[in-house]
Amino acid sequence: MKDTYRFQVNLSGMINILANHLYSNPRVYLRELLQNAVDAVTARNELEEGYQGQITVELSGMGSTATMTMEDNGIGLNEEEVHQFLAMIGQSSKRGGEDFISRETSFIGRFGIGLLSCFMVSDEIVMITQSAKGGPALEWRGQPDGTYTIRKLENALSPGTKVYLRCKPGSEIYFGEQNLAKWLYDYGALLPYPISLHSGSSSRKINGTRPVWIAYPELARDRKEEVLHLGEQLLGERFHDFIPLHTASGRTGGIAYILPQAVNLNAKKTHRVYLKHMLVSEKAENILPDWAFFVKCIVWTDELQPTASREHFYENEKLEEVREELGEAIRSELMRMADYDQSRLRQIIGQHALSIKALAVEDENFYRMIYRWLPFESTFGRKELGELLKERSTIFYTLTLDEYRQITHVAAAQFMLVVNGGYIYDSELLALLPQICPEAESKRLQPEDISFSFTDITADERRQYYENTRTADAALQRFRCQIQLKRFKPSELPALYTLSKESADLRSLEAAKEVSTDALSSVLNSLGSSFQAAAYSTLYFNLDNPVVARVFSGDPAMLPAAVEMLYVNALMMGHYPMSRQELAVLNEGIIRFIEWGYAAGNTQDGGNGQ
Amino acid sequence: MNLDFEELMEEAYDLPRGKAQIAVLEQAIRAADTAGDLEAGFEARSELVESAIFSGYPMKAIVAFSWQLGQYDKNNDLFDNYQLLWSYKWILDKVACFPDIPREQIDNLLDDMKKRYAELGYSERTYCFYKAVLLMQYGELEEAGRYLDQFQSLDRDEMSDCEACEQNRLIDYEVLLGRDERTLRVAEPILSGQMSCGEVPHVTLSTVLMPLYRLGRQEEADKLQRKSYRLVKGNNDFLLQIGENIRYLALTDPFRGLELFEKHLSQALDHENPWDQMMFSAYASTLFSRLKQETVAFQVKLPASFPHPEFASDVVRLEQHFLQEALATADRLDRRNGNSYYGSLIQSL
Repeated sequence: MKDTYRFQVNLSGMINILANHLYSNPRVYLRELLQNAVDAVTARNELEEGYQGQITVELSGMGSTATMTMEDNGIGLNEEEVHQFLAMIGQSSKRGGEDFISRETSFIGRFGIGLLSCFMVSDEIVMITQSAKGGPALEWRGQPDGTYTIRKLENALSPGTKVYLRCKPGSEIYFGEQNLAKWLYDYGALLPYPISLHSGSSSRKINGTRPVWIAYPELARDRKEEVLHLGEQLLGERFHDFIPLHTASGRTGGIAYILPQAVNLNAKKTHRVYLKHMLVSEKAENILPDWAFFVKCIVWTDELQPTASREHFYENEKLEEVREELGEAIRSELMRMADYDQSRLRQIIGQHALSIKALAVEDENFYRMIYRWLPFESTFGRKELGELLKERSTIFYTLTLDEYRQITHVAAAQFMLVVNGGYIYDSELLALLPQICPEAESKRLQPEDISFSFTDITADERRQYYENTRTADAALQRFRCQIQLKRFKPSELPALYTLSKESADLRSLEAAKEVSTDALSSVLNSLGSSFQAAAYSTLYFNLDNPVVARVFSGDPAMLPAAVEMLYVNALMMGHYPMSRQELAVLNEGIIRFIEWGYAAGNTQDGGNGQ
Repeated sequence: MNLDFEELMEEAYDLPRGKAQIAVLEQAIRAADTAGDLEAGFEARSELVESAIFSGYPMKAIVAFSWQLGQYDKNNDLFDNYQLLWSYKWILDKVACFPDIPREQIDNLLDDMKKRYAELGYSERTYCFYKAVLLMQYGELEEAGRYLDQFQSLDRDEMSDCEACEQNRLIDYEVLLGRDERTLRVAEPILSGQMSCGEVPHVTLSTVLMPLYRLGRQEEADKLQRKSYRLVKGNNDFLLQIGENIRYLALTDPFRGLELFEKHLSQALDHENPWDQMMFSAYASTLFSRLKQETVAFQVKLPASFPHPEFASDVVRLEQHFLQEALATADRLDRRNGNSYYGSLIQSL
């Protein structure tokens, strides 16, 4: 014969795990209590339509002698329910055998497990409860070692539940009056019935009347001050603008407050989400699409499933749907602004360009509506795209910040409009531009393209400088650099070193090869062979520059050394780290020119002396 | 060290992984190198390697890592080796994607990693795992299977990939063998959400679409396809997964597939990973092969970087073009690998 046994769980160990690992902060005991109270009221409401709930919190004593009670006038529990809900962990408070997390009910709490969180702040939990369905009133006492007692009280009470907690040493702050008031407000601000807090002779209402726009977010537009005020109270920040949110089903709504300051792309998102009127998360990250990082939201919903700690939501299809719809609400409001309220939109873009660009990259229609106001950095300054398009119908842009830096100086001197595409989203947006705005053209500008705006040298000059140009070119051959002789502004600039993204990549590959291990150096060698062809850099010499004019007309013997020095000089001007070979050129060059300088000086001295 | 470097690094830490962050890190590296500051150069390259690996710039990662490892060997008292050796795995995962790198050089790298891990007391498990990964990339599946068995028999240690990542490779293996039911069984812990990490299920979902489809479970596949696309669309590293989405949509919703293709073609065209590009092209050609059966007048949106704007209205030529592109890379890979694996794979799609 076979015996079946059950696993035994050590409850005090379990409580420890819950207290220390499941919840992020002991103050959630308050949320759990409140949630139980809300569930009790909800259940009673099902029994008696229109029943008016009420939750009363009382605080007596101070510091380590503080005691707190929370009382609701909900459905209460009878003895069977007490055993079932308070003693069986992993069981939902309300009927059915399904997994307690995945089931959708009108209740949010899981009575037993929630109550256990009170052991984080109290060494004993006492509960007095009277079921609305009759039976005697009960007194339940739970201990953190996992034992409890039940006593039947002699007199019947009015239905409801009252929980008593006594402050455990070290938990004083969780019983402070100000803290309780604040946290109760945080968790319960949107509850549709009153919570009150009494302490000694003082008594206060925690939550005001529930604003009508909670049920109908569209109405928020006409109550601007009220909405901004709630934002300030709940999110602790003074906002100036907001967008009402709602989903088609009406089961999720909210307010997206527009942040008054620019935010970092990586900033933690701290949206506040209320599930069935109760605060579930103060740092819900996944409730809005990624691009919407310029708003902070209060969202209320009754259709999402919280995770076990009830501080986040399960990433499931429902959440995805809700996220899309909330994102759509923000997006369509912005689109509406593009038609009817451009100054408001421009203010938002001015503050949150990055966020708006993130959306524009994802969404062509949106981009089409708002592209005019997106700011870009260009050789004409930081301007809106619409302004830039008034100047030129073709927008040149670089792929990287590096490429932009190489040519900005020269391009500006030639009055060429070039946009820096090195910032996040910018080159993608510019590449897309012709698709959303047919009158506009956009072209990637490689650094060497800038030379199209240079003045070519004349046929005579070409003949005159032919030999020296070849010599100079040969001198830089070993650096994979070719030279071009041109005339360009500004004339103070002797030479312009240009390196496309491709050759910049090869350059750093070569540098890494110099220092790497044998195994990796050979790998880099193989990799480098694939882009040899495209990988020449170009050094443009400016014949308008007096030094360059002199170098190319002077002594051919000095030419290679002078060209090499101008080459390393151009590298330094462009902040390029130099390879060993290039450093050697610099060192030898300095010595050589010092020698030449003195030699020339001596000749002169000698001449003067005679 | 110099202010420039510190400021650039701060800027970089504020950016999400990807192109913009890489650009700032490259500037920081230049500042460090110009100042001759090895430690700063090392720090910035560590960030670069990670950012580049996870945002689809494997070439940049290989270059930066090569510098790091070389400097580490010359001055190993200056640098911490854990992160460096951890990132060796990322490099090994990518090198075989480049047909220009001969097999011998790749195997040398793997042996070098094995030696370094052994010297520091790490188990052979990671070596076996990456040996299997490489063999899978070479198309030598039987041999890969032996190494996967061996890897699973050894104990995890600090160099092991996370469980979700390991499970994902086991799924890949079943996919390569075409064992649909087993694929789904092995994928279960990931599909149910029990296993996940920064890259999983992102890289997983699109691999099970075809198995589900072949097993007649299109409804589930449709759901996963939408989820997959949402997870992968924003990151340049997931070009392959975008391709797999397109492949699936080619069969179930080809005009949606075309939308994805149009949206991601420019990403594919200037992608750094030739293997991912090859697969994207191959999947794109299956899309056009399906679309050519339609009678509508096509006007496919092609980015300026696409060399044949005149193909926009001609899906037959687009099909041919992408097939040729894919086969060209497949041919180079096959010659490197010494078999005809990728050529046949692509023809069989």
